[in-house]
Amino acid sequence: MNFSNLRRRWRALTHKNEMDQELDEEMQFHLQRDIERNVKSGMSAENARYAALKSFDRLEQSKEECRSARGIGVIENIVRDVSYSLRVLLKSYAFTIVVVLTLALGIGANTAIFSFANGILLRPLPYPQSDRLAVLEETAPGMQNIGVSYPNFLDWRDQNTMFEGIAAYGQSRFSMTLGGEAIEIRCSRVSYGLFEVLRVQPQLGRTFTMNEDRPEEDGVVMLGHDLWQKYFGGDPNVVGKQVSVSGRTRTVIGVMPRGFRFPEVSQLWVPLALTTKIYTRNDHGLEAIARLKDGLSVAQAQSEMHSIAARIDELNPLTNQGLDVRVTSLHENLSGNYREALLILLGVVGCVLLVACVNVANLMLARATARQKEFALRAALGASRWRIVRQLLFESLLLAVIGGALGFVLSVGALRLLLTAIPIDLPVWMNFSVDLRVLGFTLGITLLTGLIFGVVPALQTSRVDLNGTLKEAARGSSGGRSRARSLLVVTEIAMSLVLLVGAGLMVQSFLRLRSVNIGLDTKNVLTAALITPRAKYKESERAALIKQIVAQVSSLPGVESASATATLPLNGNNWGRGLTVEGYAGADQTPIVQHTVVTPDYFRTMGITLLAGRDFNDSDTKDSPDVTIIDERLARMYWPNQSPIGKRVRFGPREDNEPWHTIVGVVSKIRHQRMQEETDPSVYLPHQKIPTGGMSLVARTSSNPHDFIHALRHVVAQLDPDVAVTKVATMDEVVAESIWQPRLYAMLFAVFAGGALLLALIGIYGVMAFLVQQRTHEIGIRMALGASARDVFKLIVGRGMKLTVVGVVIGVGGAIALTRLMHSLLFNTSTTDPFVFILISAVLSTAAFFACYLPARRAARVDPLIALRYE
Amino acid sequence: MNKQQSDLFKQGTLELLILRLLNSGSLNGWDIMQRIELLSAEVLTVTPGALYPALHRLEARGLISAVWRPSDNNRRAKFYGLTTRGRKQLDAQLKQWEQFSDAVALVLRDA
Repeated sequence: MNFSNLRRRWRALTHKNEMDQELDEEMQFHLQRDIERNVKSGMSAENARYAALKSFDRLEQSKEECRSARGIGVIENIVRDVSYSLRVLLKSYAFTIVVVLTLALGIGANTAIFSFANGILLRPLPYPQSDRLAVLEETAPGMQNIGVSYPNFLDWRDQNTMFEGIAAYGQSRFSMTLGGEAIEIRCSRVSYGLFEVLRVQPQLGRTFTMNEDRPEEDGVVMLGHDLWQKYFGGDPNVVGKQVSVSGRTRTVIGVMPRGFRFPEVSQLWVPLALTTKIYTRNDHGLEAIARLKDGLSVAQAQSEMHSIAARIDELNPLTNQGLDVRVTSLHENLSGNYREALLILLGVVGCVLLVACVNVANLMLARATARQKEFALRAALGASRWRIVRQLLFESLLLAVIGGALGFVLSVGALRLLLTAIPIDLPVWMNFSVDLRVLGFTLGITLLTGLIFGVVPALQTSRVDLNGTLKEAARGSSGGRSRARSLLVVTEIAMSLVLLVGAGLMVQSFLRLRSVNIGLDTKNVLTAALITPRAKYKESERAALIKQIVAQVSSLPGVESASATATLPLNGNNWGRGLTVEGYAGADQTPIVQHTVVTPDYFRTMGITLLAGRDFNDSDTKDSPDVTIIDERLARMYWPNQSPIGKRVRFGPREDNEPWHTIVGVVSKIRHQRMQEETDPSVYLPHQKIPTGGMSLVARTSSNPHDFIHALRHVVAQLDPDVAVTKVATMDEVVAESIWQPRLYAMLFAVFAGGALLLALIGIYGVMAFLVQQRTHEIGIRMALGASARDVFKLIVGRGMKLTVVGVVIGVGGAIALTRLMHSLLFNTSTTDPFVFILISAVLSTAAFFACYLPARRAARVDPLIALRYE
Repeated sequence: MNKQQSDLFKQGTLELLILRLLNSGSLNGWDIMQRIELLSAEVLTVTPGALYPALHRLEARGLISAVWRPSDNNRRAKFYGLTTRGRKQLDAQLKQWEQFSDAVALVLRDA
């Protein structure tokens, strides 16, 4: 298009009225000349004018053609179509509101789930070149990620050629006393080089040196930005200051920039400062992260780490037999847990939106019938078919855009609601704010939605039979259209059946999971984490402090018993160690056992049954003989036909001369790690012997445990205000929290499937009501010919149920094919669970019956006299 | 001209005729219509419904341009004239037309 052309088009657009006047004038001139000529040839003025006008056939249509020849057509018509659409939609506002709300809910749900998935699966992690970061995990036969041991980590660091750097870290909770209040801080012990691997520079000061990564040299600490702002007032001279961390004085050496947290939500870092003496090859509790060298892939690194692991295995057969290393990209590692569920949820909300589209398309078709005259009239006035299609598409798009905008607003609220349903501290890398990707997604599905529900009705409607429509009312003339609508209803029912079955399976699975016997009596148990300042209490003093707290809590009125444990069940805390049984000559592997350090009365408090022997008691002190209590699984494994009491086991690597522990008791088994499965067998050790920090208090109460929170805090504050009491929750809450993911997914599934069901019912109701209205005349004839109300009722319901049954059959087929995808999300539930399939089909059919019932009843009450007059 | 003939009188042909007529000087719409009837000895007739959209299309394509000036009866009329591009287009189309009609004539004569 050249410049003058462009200018002309611009003029056409901006001087539209002027140009229309010119066009009128040109036509007038032509008419005038015709009339003049006719008069000259002897006609009367009247006839001359009439003849001229007659020769000027289709005046308005040619004007329209001239206008479109100007080339302004497109833009001007768009403006006109939009304003026309707006007027049409405002006029039928009930229709508009229903459609917009349907779309807003569909698009809103999709945007919310997409934002959620975007924050977890798509957004890059908040570290420079985060795609080069990899996670190294140790695996044992049949077990993923048993935790990294420090000596193994050192070997990896020395021997690999694939990584720019590897760092190890362990998370813990520290207490800090700031402003007279003991607070709990999520903290990490990190090896030298962690920040370099992450490529994040401190905002102030420096990071740890290699020298500081040693015991006795490690009196330094780095602060996170928020912590620095909140407790140090953003003091720019904070570097070099002394702070007390867990009772030990450390020097601040650096402050990390705003927004930096690693791992998860940690915002305080101290050196790992381990030795292979303290942390043996048999202790697996660290995590490791590495940065790949440029140009190398995860797969290459994996194969090298594989051979390094094999070499370590060869040199240390006792501790490392069968151990391997798994290398995954950091992003995959972090998001992997959520990936499958999120993809399935995206599919689910996508289906809901499709059902919504089908419903709206149905409404549009119904409305189109009512508007047939309007379109016929427009066609008669010279509108081309394309013009009418475009007009209808504009209406659809306009509806979609309004729905999309509203949906976007809804999604922000929905996402917030969704996030409150997640009980864990969300790690910093999960970022759910709205970004361009979310906006693009919303825009994309909005337009796509408009097209999906708009195209079919537009094409159907624009195929107008001009004469037929204008001549008579469109009575009974829309057979094809009603077939299209029936097809849409079948689709809707089939799709909602698939969704409902999916939801049914999820709910079924969740209910089964919730009723799993975990081996604990969780009712009326209060739990709280106690963070004792590390340096303030030497080991024995800490044991004494915990003993004192437990004693005071258990003497509170209404507290039946109290105890403490280093690892609360189902709380994500595990401590696995190798086990050697004295005199056992069977398989030469050391099984990993769940190590739980407890104080006396733990079993009674938690509702674990003492099957044989005795509980720990006050005579199990630092200096008494080493004792342990094992669970029934371990007992059955090694002493299937005899009592294990008095037998001896020891922990840690075989070559180490760890002391032997005498078994003094056997208790019932519990599901310590996950509700979903039995994991490692458990051993219990007395806290007096192993006075670890970070104990959790447990108390069995005679009434609602929540009533005891205040008293518990008071007891602890009285004994030492520097001990932080955090994570106060009932055991029921801890259990519920451990299965928040299945709960959330089941809930979302149920909500979405319910929405789809509602839409499908509205759809089938709409079609049946329309059918009755269309066939009132026919029904009248039938009744006049002797059909009873019952027959009519059966006719209508029969038609609706036929559609339903077809939909249900297709839906069951689809569900069998699709639910397979959610296999990994289900617990103890087959993807073709017949109970769920039958129940859902029955519920859907019943609901569909009621949706047909109302229109059918109306049909049965038709008065043949009135119906026959009905137009 | 009966219906069949008018169907043969396709858009492209009308545009060629318009360009040819305007080659000898600018004309208004009414004049063009009269000339076509006159020159074709009333075999070809054009309705305003066909003519004006054709004129506006040609204008939109930049082949003709229009000015408003008084006509013989002293009314303001829109006069169309050929642009340089229009002249080139006319030459090209004339050549095509001649080739086409020669070819048709040859076939009709020799077949």
